[in-house]
Amino acid sequence: MTTSSDRAVPETAGGSDAVQAELLRFLTARTRKPWTADADLFASGGLSSLFAMELVVHLERTYGIAIRGTDLRLENFRTVWRMAALVDRLRQPAPGGRGE
Amino acid sequence: MNDAVAVAASAVTALVGHRAAEWDRAGRLPTEVVRKLGAAGQLAPQIPTRYGGPGWSSADTGEFTAHVGSLCSSVRSVMTSQGMAAWAVERLAGPAQAAELLPRLATGDTAAVAFSEPQAGSDLSAVTTTVAVDGDSLLLTGRKVWVTAADHADLFLVLARLGEGGAVVVVPRGAPGVRVRRMADPLGCRAAGHAEVRFDAVRLPAGSLLGDGGQSLSLLATTALTYGRISVAWGCVGILRACVAAAGEHAGLRHQFGRPLGRHQLVARHLAELWAAEQVATRVCEHASRCWDDGSTDLVTATVLAKYVSAGQAVRGAAAAVQVLASAGAQDGHPVARAYRDAKLMEIIEGSTEMCQLLLADHVLSRW
Ligand SMILES: Cc1cc2nc3c(=O)[nH]c(=O)nc-3n(C[C@H](O)[C@H](O)[C@H](O)COP(=O)(O)OP(=O)(O)OC[C@H]3O[C@@H](n4cnc5c(N)ncnc54)[C@H](O)[C@@H]3O)c2cc1C
Repeated sequence: MTTSSDRAVPETAGGSDAVQAELLRFLTARTRKPWTADADLFASGGLSSLFAMELVVHLERTYGIAIRGTDLRLENFRTVWRMAALVDRLRQPAPGGRGE
Repeated sequence: MNDAVAVAASAVTALVGHRAAEWDRAGRLPTEVVRKLGAAGQLAPQIPTRYGGPGWSSADTGEFTAHVGSLCSSVRSVMTSQGMAAWAVERLAGPAQAAELLPRLATGDTAAVAFSEPQAGSDLSAVTTTVAVDGDSLLLTGRKVWVTAADHADLFLVLARLGEGGAVVVVPRGAPGVRVRRMADPLGCRAAGHAEVRFDAVRLPAGSLLGDGGQSLSLLATTALTYGRISVAWGCVGILRACVAAAGEHAGLRHQFGRPLGRHQLVARHLAELWAAEQVATRVCEHASRCWDDGSTDLVTATVLAKYVSAGQAVRGAAAAVQVLASAGAQDGHPVARAYRDAKLMEIIEGSTEMCQLLLADHVLSRW
């Protein structure tokens, strides 16, 4: 089970530069619009929850992680920073494993 | 079809036999049919082998789903519910929960997905069912409608509000405060066991929230519906296959004006369009399943597309089949009569045709 500390999402820069750069490339290619690492992807006029699912699939495949359970919150995908931080955290083997 | 799928398909053909018409008229599937399929792991063949499931690919599951759908859309609906429930558990549950629930769903326990409410259909952000933490347990209150497979379900997966966010709650049918009331006379998929389910202050252990809850309602719904959509889409392929078979056979045998019906050009056009519909639906479903099996990000859109295209084709194709058979197919229980009613509902569930159109338009606008 996840602990409540998992719920804290960094509001500042998070995750490795390489992950951030790759995610910005993916977003730009997919939406044909420039994005910044702190831009709110789901703010009005932004992207749909269907697109959030696409991000989940992209992160899982690109980084060999499994985004399950409590991590499946829109908040974790709201900015490139948050996604990069999520990738960093899930790439560390969790105690007990994540069942994958 | 690979061998395991072909073996399972002939087992289902034998199990259903010619009884789908009778089940449709009675509005009920025999319990032993559901139990048998459940025990064989055939209601949710994509459950991974590490959880005791068959571990089929989406492509194989799709072909199997189409086969079941060609025999009986009610059985196929029960499969869709079970598969959606299993997929939701696989995605949303913590490791211990998945290890507890998935083996059960792979070997006999059945589950139904309870999302819709009287005031929350297309707009699931309007759900009012609420789960709250109460001491070291949970309290669930609300009312769900149109729960497919509720008739036989051992478990309900209930979409609820939890504080600011959402949660999927696993509720055993026997929990005090759960009341299941069958919905009478649905237009189609009549034997799929639809029911209204009420939860009156149902007390549940804290571990009943999938993955501790607190996810966003829209991501919870999108996650479960992704499986539901691809399953319904393949089910529509099955409806179309049954229609091609019935219309093709009838148009070859029945004579009017001195020749087979199929040799009248206007009837022949129905046959051509019906077969084209089946082929189009098959290809779009194969594409979605390939995206699923490859872990491609296109999966999400491909699934909406498959559901949208297949349901629309099934509605038009079933109408054409009834036209070709005319009075010979105009009786409840007949394959094309069932197809006609069942197909229409496929345009409503798992994201209506209009909701799919909005999603596909959104996709276009976000890219171009
Ligand atoms: C056979 C069957 C099985 C079902 N099984 C289940 C189940 O197992 N579990 C479950 O939770 N639910 C189930 N449902 C319920 C199903 O999910 C809903 O019927 C569906 O989501 C549509 O909601 P609604 O019927 O309330 O229609 P509404 O949401 O009231 O929509 C009515 C019409 O308005 C259109 N519409 C709505 N909003 C918009 C918009 N923004 N733009 C354009 N058009 C719009 C719709 O497309 C539709 O044509 C089932 C329904 C059926 C018929």
